[in-house]
Amino acid sequence: MKDAGSSDLALFGTPARRIRLAVALVALLLLPFVASPFLLDLANQVLLAVIGALALMLLTGFAGLISLGTAGLLGAGAYTVGVLVREAAAAFWVTLPAAALLGAILGLVFGLPSLRLRGLYLAISTLGLHFVVVYLGGEYEAREALSTGVMIDPPSIGRFSLTSDIGWYFVLLAFAALALLISVNLKRSRTGRAWRALRERDVVAEALGIDVHRFKLLAFVVSATMTSVAGALFAYYRNFVSIDAFSLYLTVQYVAMIIIGGMGSIPGALLGAAFVMLFPYAIEAAAGFLPSRFGNVVFALDYAAFGVVMILFLLLEPAGLMGIWHRIRAAFAARRATSAPKSAPGSASGSAPGSAP
Amino acid sequence: MRASAYLALVALAAASLLPAGSATAQDSYKIGVTAAMTGPAAATQAPVIEMLRIYVDRLNAKGGINGHQVDLLIEDDQAEPSKAAANATKLVRQEGVILLINSSFSSTYGPVIAEAKRGNVPLWFAGAVCPKETHPPKADPLLFCSTGFDFSVDIPVAVKAIKDMAKEPAKLALVGIPVPISRIGIDGAEKLAASLGMQAVDKEFVPPATADYTPFATKIKGADANWGFAYAPWPAEAKTFEALRRLGWTGQYLAYGHIQAEDELTRIADGGFEIFMANSLFQDDLPVHKQIRDAAAAGKYSFPPTYGTEGWLSGRILEQILTKTGWPASAEKVTASMSSLNLDTQGIRGGPLVWTADNHFRTKQSYRFYRYDPDKKSIVRMRDWLTVDVTD
Amino acid sequence: MSPQLIANIVVLAAIYALVSAGYVLVYRVSHVLNLAHGELMMIGAYILVATAGLFSGNPILALLLAAVSGLVMGLVVYAVLMRWLTGEAVLAAVLVTIALGILLRGLSILIWTTQQFYPAAIFGWRNPPVHILPGVQISVASLAIVALTIIVYAALFLFLQFTAWGVRMRAAGQNPLLAEQRGIRLHAVYALAWGLSTFTASLAGMLLSLDSGVESTMATIGLKAFPAALVGGLDSLFGALVGALIVAAAEIAAIQFVNPLLSDVVPFLVLLLVLAVRPWGLFGSREQLDRV
Repeated sequence: MKDAGSSDLALFGTPARRIRLAVALVALLLLPFVASPFLLDLANQVLLAVIGALALMLLTGFAGLISLGTAGLLGAGAYTVGVLVREAAAAFWVTLPAAALLGAILGLVFGLPSLRLRGLYLAISTLGLHFVVVYLGGEYEAREALSTGVMIDPPSIGRFSLTSDIGWYFVLLAFAALALLISVNLKRSRTGRAWRALRERDVVAEALGIDVHRFKLLAFVVSATMTSVAGALFAYYRNFVSIDAFSLYLTVQYVAMIIIGGMGSIPGALLGAAFVMLFPYAIEAAAGFLPSRFGNVVFALDYAAFGVVMILFLLLEPAGLMGIWHRIRAAFAARRATSAPKSAPGSASGSAPGSAP
Repeated sequence: MRASAYLALVALAAASLLPAGSATAQDSYKIGVTAAMTGPAAATQAPVIEMLRIYVDRLNAKGGINGHQVDLLIEDDQAEPSKAAANATKLVRQEGVILLINSSFSSTYGPVIAEAKRGNVPLWFAGAVCPKETHPPKADPLLFCSTGFDFSVDIPVAVKAIKDMAKEPAKLALVGIPVPISRIGIDGAEKLAASLGMQAVDKEFVPPATADYTPFATKIKGADANWGFAYAPWPAEAKTFEALRRLGWTGQYLAYGHIQAEDELTRIADGGFEIFMANSLFQDDLPVHKQIRDAAAAGKYSFPPTYGTEGWLSGRILEQILTKTGWPASAEKVTASMSSLNLDTQGIRGGPLVWTADNHFRTKQSYRFYRYDPDKKSIVRMRDWLTVDVTD
Repeated sequence: MSPQLIANIVVLAAIYALVSAGYVLVYRVSHVLNLAHGELMMIGAYILVATAGLFSGNPILALLLAAVSGLVMGLVVYAVLMRWLTGEAVLAAVLVTIALGILLRGLSILIWTTQQFYPAAIFGWRNPPVHILPGVQISVASLAIVALTIIVYAALFLFLQFTAWGVRMRAAGQNPLLAEQRGIRLHAVYALAWGLSTFTASLAGMLLSLDSGVESTMATIGLKAFPAALVGGLDSLFGALVGALIVAAAEIAAIQFVNPLLSDVVPFLVLLLVLAVRPWGLFGSREQLDRV
């Protein structure tokens, strides 16, 4: 695993960065008022994906623990909401903490194999989580004769209920921001450094006095809790839960997000989530320019193109979108450096892609 | 090399932000479809929607309806609820369709129904399981369903038919797949069989991707079943039966006849494999079957022409709805037009398809029973239209 | 346990073992886990559909052509994709195979739609049952799978033990640096491993399609065979055989005696159990753990 630039989140450093951050913030706050309903829905989907992608980035990108349990955990969170709403008419202030708690417990249970297993073997053991959740969800739906899943009313306080997409946008933005804050803080704390040590070589980490078991389990618990809450939010946002929504393909999409974004980079998780969520629509738009209708071809093409893009990223740009970003910045800095030859040569290399092959 | 790859990606990303479909004329009927064109449900749904598209292309070639073209916007949901939700949002809110069609797993229905209601657009389930909300006498004002199969109606018909056909006391084995809709249907069949004095000796749920069906068949045979009843997607129905025969099982077997049934009965060529279905087979050789065959050839249909019946019927329903809607069209006018549908099915079904204000499904459902006759070396009809009343 | 159940276990184990052989071959030689294996198997079956359509009167030719295409497919995958990842992090290579799987699924729908195809029907073949013992029947295709699995495994054992290329493959797997210094061309060895892997996968796909047809969900069978390879140990061919038997027996016991709904879950439960006790699989080598 490689790190796509470690200084990329010294966010609050220079004034220039602060200005850029402020501009981005204003743009995010203004977006829902100018976006079409469809774009707003897409934005909400991206925000949901961001939470899950950050959670997976913590686990895989920071701590180097591979998991294929994302869809299972999203499903567990969504199902917590579905079952509690249906059986006990529970409100969101009950269901969301319950989803978080279940996520934490599942994280602990399925983190245990990580104490013995590594790499691919670990990934496979987390697949067990996926199958267990899908099996239990299917049992519930079949027992309760729910052929179209569980319908869920929008979350409400008193007479106010969250139904508008703009309202949802800000709620999801808040949750995504919270997830971002947690990730940034963890990465820069002692925990984050311990995770990095684990990722590089856990035998060495142990020799350095790091409690390997504790930090591995912590990574699983934090990641699973975030993912489970994202699943609960998904259930509320779509007003329903169905086990079919949580396929292995969904897990692959989340893995693709952190690869395409750039392994080990928090902004990479954000970019990756946006890219993977928006990519099918890009293909569709591109296919719209083809001369005439191609029957089913477009859909198969869309599916295949996703595979091609993942391959291209892995072969050409292992550092992902963040790698591209650093490259572009380095190129600009280099041009500036040649036009003003007196500037210090080291200035551009501060965040150069430390990992390009 | 790298730079050009990035450029292509950036261009693609930029293209995604352009409002898609803005080039289409404002004076067309915009119909939105979210369907399983790829993914696990595609084997059953893609043939329906492709034939619907061929039908609409033919309509447009002849000048459209009421002088206006029909713009069929098809989106793939890969049988995933979240994709279906996004598709519905796009079609209803961005494209402003006047009618939404859903053809996928029932797990996609929730979010699509929610979106249709929010946009007050009628939603029509074509070629996929009918939700209960479309049934008379209290149909949801916005939900309609034309599909041939519906487990709440099919299962009682099948179980009673087995009771009638069985010469000796039926010991029934039930076959489904491990998804809620099939499990609910099979569990219902078990209860009904018991109430009719038949014994359900075994119940199998076969996963969609099974390497070998023999273990399931061994259990059915071991339970000493003399009748099998399958209510599942076609591959599970047919492959379980074939595995049973290879074990030397001699019983009879009834399965729902999905779109693949006609080709498959001939391939399997076994007199003990019976199917029941709401659509007539090409074997009945009606004029409409010839029309479908010709349209499939002319439209380069990707599937055998016999797969096209349900899609063709959907096309004819759409034609009548839009003809009666007139011009200019709106979602309200389409809903009104759908609530007074009366379509001569030309023999595809056992009677006209009628929708009224409180019935968006049908009040009577008819089934034909077929099997392959090894002596005649062709499919034969065992029972002509068997009509039952639809009660809630 | 009735003889028929044992026959069922042997057939299912043969299917899993034939599929698993490819996982092990590629992993043992290049330490890459090929998660597109199921998709490659499905493409192998579809190629048989294509060759059967072209040469429906000459099944032997169609089968041979499809088998050779299976071998070529692996060489092409290596030459076009995997060779660029030699020396990269193993995870990157695994992720490339996931992406390849997605690409192949899309391509297969593009070319063959979502329809079910039956190459046996194109040849005009029936798939009659064979009485192997009183009261025990299996289909001809299943019998062929069992026979072929035995042949393939025997051939692979002999190949790896006694031929020059086999020795090179083992050497490359154990220590690529040393092997290269000794003049072994790593790219050629890896390409051969991929070729043999997709060749055996294609054989499995072809026979499965002769037994019960092929459609776009066949790729998932690759995932179901996966626990067998891991239970046995990813770098041991013998382990794959034993793992396939254990997983098949557990799956069939679950169907027969517990609940058929568990049939998809049980192989992974067995896997979790084995990994908890022996993380490197029953016959895998322990040092492999540190490599992945």
